[in-house]
Amino acid sequence: MIDTKKYIFTFLITSTIFVTTFFMSTFFSNKRVESVKSIQDTIAIDILSSETQFDLLKEVPCSNVGDTILSAELSELGNKLSHTETDRGETDDDVIYLKKYYSLLQIKDYLLSKKLVEKCGVGKKPVFIIYFYSNQGDCPECGREGYVLTRLKEIYPDLRVYSFDYNLSLSAIDSMKKIYKIKSELPAIIIEDETYTGFQSLEDLSALLPDTLKMSTSTITTSSSTKDNK
Amino acid sequence: MENILQGLMYPFLFLSMYFQIFLLMSFFENRKKIKEEEFFETEHYPTVTVAVPCWNEEKTLAATLDSLLSLNYPKEKLYIIVVDDGSRDGTFQIAQEYEKNNPQQIKALTKSNGGKHTAVNLALAQSKADLFGCLDADSFVSPDSLKIIVSYFNKNNKVMAVTPCMHIRNPKSLIQRMQAIEYLMGIFLRKAFGQLDAIQVTPGPFSIFRKSVFETIGNYRKAHNTEDYEITLRMHKHHLKIANAHKALVYTIGPATVKGYFFQRLRWVRGFLENSLDYKEIFFKKEYGNFGMFTLPVAFTFVFYGLYVAFFMLYIFVSHWVGVVERWLAVGIHLRVPIFDLFYFSTTTITFIGMVMFTMFLLVLYIANILTDDKQEFYRNFPIYFFFYPIFIPFILGRSVFDTLTSRKNEWVLQDNKK
Repeated sequence: MIDTKKYIFTFLITSTIFVTTFFMSTFFSNKRVESVKSIQDTIAIDILSSETQFDLLKEVPCSNVGDTILSAELSELGNKLSHTETDRGETDDDVIYLKKYYSLLQIKDYLLSKKLVEKCGVGKKPVFIIYFYSNQGDCPECGREGYVLTRLKEIYPDLRVYSFDYNLSLSAIDSMKKIYKIKSELPAIIIEDETYTGFQSLEDLSALLPDTLKMSTSTITTSSSTKDNK
Repeated sequence: MENILQGLMYPFLFLSMYFQIFLLMSFFENRKKIKEEEFFETEHYPTVTVAVPCWNEEKTLAATLDSLLSLNYPKEKLYIIVVDDGSRDGTFQIAQEYEKNNPQQIKALTKSNGGKHTAVNLALAQSKADLFGCLDADSFVSPDSLKIIVSYFNKNNKVMAVTPCMHIRNPKSLIQRMQAIEYLMGIFLRKAFGQLDAIQVTPGPFSIFRKSVFETIGNYRKAHNTEDYEITLRMHKHHLKIANAHKALVYTIGPATVKGYFFQRLRWVRGFLENSLDYKEIFFKKEYGNFGMFTLPVAFTFVFYGLYVAFFMLYIFVSHWVGVVERWLAVGIHLRVPIFDLFYFSTTTITFIGMVMFTMFLLVLYIANILTDDKQEFYRNFPIYFFFYPIFIPFILGRSVFDTLTSRKNEWVLQDNKK
């Protein structure tokens, strides 16, 4: 004997669970986007604060200006944004919005850091890498290049890597592309105003980095080893 | 590509969850009835013949016969027919020795090798008892199992066959521990299916039938080397009721090696597919109740969907490791301290559905462990099942489907001629 009511009731329960899981997923996914937005807002305020401080430079000495040490936060933000992109898909409106916001923050941080170096001297000179990638299937080497840059940052914590999605429709990115004459040949990497296209290995990129960065890293390593030995 | 593959997961997940909920509901709405079954009395003791078909079973036959002789059942009502199906070892000598020591109860027969169904049919032809069952020569019964099974026949005249509660005997190897959990799940499934008159198989080890069943539907058939499944389909075809005695404990020796396990499951899945196709007229026919309308079509679908899910998971696994290897090739191997941050926890719909289904799966195993009188080492066996079972599934299902589609000969039968 077939109990039709039981079949219908089971269908309703299963559908309810399915719908609930869908809403739960949407809820947590939105929470994640909010969390990324919140980090971006905090960084935006920090940059604005640094810019304001910078404007006051005329009246205060360099030593009083906080370094725009936002790379760590930006790096963490980049990781979270990348995770959100994987989770929601690269065509998701929220993801595109967050990527645009993130790209602008990177440009701001880059410009501010450069200005600070100009005003406050070479002693604080950081090394920048600007990286253009594409995740639309037209850049098979971009994945590998990403691994190399992540590793490079682990080796040289003072290195600042700014990543930009080549296909992101944002006028500021278009201007960057024009300034550095970036065509569609990707991945494209800019170090010390020189543009390199195609896959660059860890060794290739390490060779292009200025010695000051390598020395500061080796100093840090040596001093920490000395501490460890004590 | 990945999105399409992932999208196809949803109908499968819905069907799986629907199936789980349906069975749980059937179980819970009948829980009182199930509890009552445990108090069935055995006032009447019908005569029973147990056939023990064997092929090269000299290592386990004596213990199997000892367990049958130890049954709490009137000796004058229990007959054992050992049928040696052309063994090349000392199986028949052991059977003869037991016949000599128990001439009233045991009969030893021998014949040239013809397959398990021929051995059982030979015993069936010799039997004059009210009930007839079979016990594989690598399986063992608990003392009260027959009495409990008989109580189901006494209680309900419509019950034509009763299946037992099966466990893996002394699971030691990794493969056997994995099967212990599979069998535990089987305990719940058989009980829930029993409430729906939709038991899928009357397993070789100690399923007992009224003798009249064979008069109605005929003897055992070769049936793609899964005669126990085919006879169940035939019983459903003739609307014969099958019950499950969850307290009637029967133990079987599970394959201890990967190869043995693989060949056994290959035979089971292939037999399931081939026999189901032979009885395709049962599918979606209201007259066959829940079995025809729901459990059989769903089980059949699960083989193909299971195959798809298994390969999808394999695809995800391989893609992940391709990425890892690509990273290693690009920058070398560097161990990283994993970052614990709730942000990175997966919150996809599939994750939540998976969590719900996993919880229900644990509930099913918990219920099964309550149902049986032999509690399993759940905490020890479950992790083994969890990590290793998914590895076997793609290969077993893939090969079974491939062999069925290409009508490939069962070349492994000689390697796995049991159960």
